[in-house]
Amino acid sequence: MTVVDPGPAAAAFDHEVLFYRGTDDFLAGVLPFVREGLERGEAVVVAESRDRLDLIRGALDGDDASVEFLDMAEIGANPSRIIAVWAAAVELHIGAGRGLRGVGEPAFHGRREAELVECQLHELLLNEAFDDGPAWRLMCPYDEQLLPRAVCRGALRAHPVRSTSLQRLPSAGYTPAGHVTALAERLPRPRKAVLSGGYGPGDVPATRRTVAHWARSCGLTEDQVEALELAASELATNSLRHGGGEGTVAMWTEAGAAVVEFSDAGHLQNPLVGRLQPPVEQEGGRGLFLVNQLCDLVQLRTSAQGTTVRVLTWL
Amino acid sequence: MTSACPLLPKGTAAYRGGVRAHGLVSAVPTAEPADHICWVYADDAHFDAAVRQFLAGGLARGERLLCVGERVIDSVRAEGSPVDGVESLIADGRLEMLTVAEAYAATGRFAPETQRAFYDAATRRAVDDGYRGLRVVADVTPLAEDDASRSHLATWEHVADEFVAHGPGMSALCAYRGDLPADALADAASAHPLVHAAPGVPAFRLFFDQGCLILAGSVDSFDADRLQRLLSASPVEGSLATLDLTFLTFIDGAGCGALARWARDLGARSITLELRGAPHLVRRMWSILSLDTLAPVTFSGVPA
Repeated sequence: MTVVDPGPAAAAFDHEVLFYRGTDDFLAGVLPFVREGLERGEAVVVAESRDRLDLIRGALDGDDASVEFLDMAEIGANPSRIIAVWAAAVELHIGAGRGLRGVGEPAFHGRREAELVECQLHELLLNEAFDDGPAWRLMCPYDEQLLPRAVCRGALRAHPVRSTSLQRLPSAGYTPAGHVTALAERLPRPRKAVLSGGYGPGDVPATRRTVAHWARSCGLTEDQVEALELAASELATNSLRHGGGEGTVAMWTEAGAAVVEFSDAGHLQNPLVGRLQPPVEQEGGRGLFLVNQLCDLVQLRTSAQGTTVRVLTWL
Repeated sequence: MTSACPLLPKGTAAYRGGVRAHGLVSAVPTAEPADHICWVYADDAHFDAAVRQFLAGGLARGERLLCVGERVIDSVRAEGSPVDGVESLIADGRLEMLTVAEAYAATGRFAPETQRAFYDAATRRAVDDGYRGLRVVADVTPLAEDDASRSHLATWEHVADEFVAHGPGMSALCAYRGDLPADALADAASAHPLVHAAPGVPAFRLFFDQGCLILAGSVDSFDADRLQRLLSASPVEGSLATLDLTFLTFIDGAGCGALARWARDLGARSITLELRGAPHLVRRMWSILSLDTLAPVTFSGVPA
C-alpha cells in the first residue's frame, strides 16, 4: 500500500473529494487522514454508512476511542440536515480550541436519484457555509466504481481539492459559488397527474388540512401525516410572509414517494436557509429547518423566478 | 397548580365530564357550573334565544342572574322577552341589570383586577343571599370598541375564566357583536372554553380547569403572538404551572416558541412548566429546536 502525504494542516476550510475503487482503496484513502488527525490531537468525526463505519473501526484496531462515528444514513437521510451537524461539530470542537477533521460520505452507493441530486447541492453549499469560517478539513469519499459518472463529475465541481489514495490535487472543475446555479435549476416535472391549488392570506389552516387529508389517503403513517401537515403549515406561512403573499401547493405520487410541493414568487436570499440550527431566541426562521429535520427528503430551489420546496415522503 | 385533567378525545363539540364544558358550539349548552361562553352575534333573534336559554338554565339551577349591557337589557325588557316575569324577578332580587358604564366604568379605569374584585363581590353576595351562584350575561361590545379598554379585554377574559373555573360560583355568557374587527373577536374568544362564532374563530381556546390550563384547537404562526399575550397574562401561582395539550389539534414551530418563551418567563419567577399530554410531534419539535435551552419543561402524560 502506498501512503501519500494526506495534505497540509488546514489554514482554512479544506473540502476534499476522495475517489475510491473498492474497500481496500477506500481504507487506503481514509485511514491515513483519520490517523493523522488523531496524531495531531484533532477531533475526528466520521459520518459514513454503517458498513463503512464498521470497516473503519475494524481497521483502526482499538485506536478509535476518540473518533466520533455518525451514521450517515441517519443524519444525512435528507442531505439538507448535514450542514447543521458539521456546524455543531465546528462550534463544539473548534470553539474549544481543538482542530477538527471530518470524513463524510453523503453520496453513498444505493441512494435514490433524487437524494444524490440533493447530495450534490449539499456539497456545493458546504463551501458557502464554511469558507469564511475557521480552518478545518472535510474529506468526502465517492465510490467511483458504483456511483453514476454524473455524480462523480458533480463532486469535482463541489470540491476545490480532489484526491485518490495515491495523490491529492486541486480540482480543475471546482466551481466557486456553484450553489447559485444549482439552486436555480428546475426540478423534474411530475410524470403523473397532479392535484394542485392556490393559497393566500387566511388559507394556511385549510392548506394544511388538505395536505394532511391527501397524505392519509396515500396510506402514510400518522407520524408522516403529521410531519407533512406541519410542513404544509410552515411552507404556506413562508409564502404568505416572504413569498409574495400567495402560493401554490401541488400533490402527486411517483415511484416510491408521496410528493407535496410549494411554490411562490419569492426569492430566498440566504442559500443556507433551513440548513442551520436557528438561534433559540429567534422568533422566525424555524419553518424550513423543521421541515428539513422532519421530512424524508426536501428539495429547495430558489431564484429570481421564484421559490419551490418539494417534500418527498418515502412510501 | 395540581390535580388531574382527564384525557378526553379531540373534537369540536362541547364536552362534559371531568373537564368543564368546552368546544365550538352552535347553541347554548345545558347550564352547568362554571360555564363561560363567548357568544358572537349577528342575528338578533338568535341572540335573544341564546340569552333566554342561558338565563333559564341559571333560574333552573337556582342562580341569581345579572344582565350587563344595553343590548342585553333591551333584549330582556323587550316585548316577547326571553325571560318571563322580568319585573318580579327584579323585585325579588333574582335578576339585576347594569349598563356597561355602571358595571365597568363604575369600577374606575378598566382593569382585570378591579373587574375580578367586582364580580367576586357580586358572586359572594349572591351566594350569601342563598343562591347557588351568579349567572352573568354581558354584552361587552362597547369595551371591545374602545381602544383603551380593548388592550385589557382579552387579559380580563382570561382572568375571568380562572375566576369562573375556580371561584365561588359564577357563570358567564360574554356577548360580542359580530361586526367587531376580526382580531378583537379572536382575542376575546380565545379566552373562553365555549365559543359560538364564525367558522375558524378562534383558532385556539385557552381556559382553566381543575387547577390547570387547557390549550385546545390549533396554534400556527398567525396565532402565536395572541397565545403568548394570553399566557403572559395568565394568573399562575405556586411553583408549578400545568398546561394540558390533550385537546390541541395542531401547533407549529412558532406556537412551540410561544410556549417556550412562556416557560422561560415562568422560570424567571421560579415556576416550572409541565406540558401534559403533549403530542409526539411537539416533543420532537422541542428537541429539534433545542427549546429546552430557553427553560426546562416537564412533559407528562401519554402523548396525544
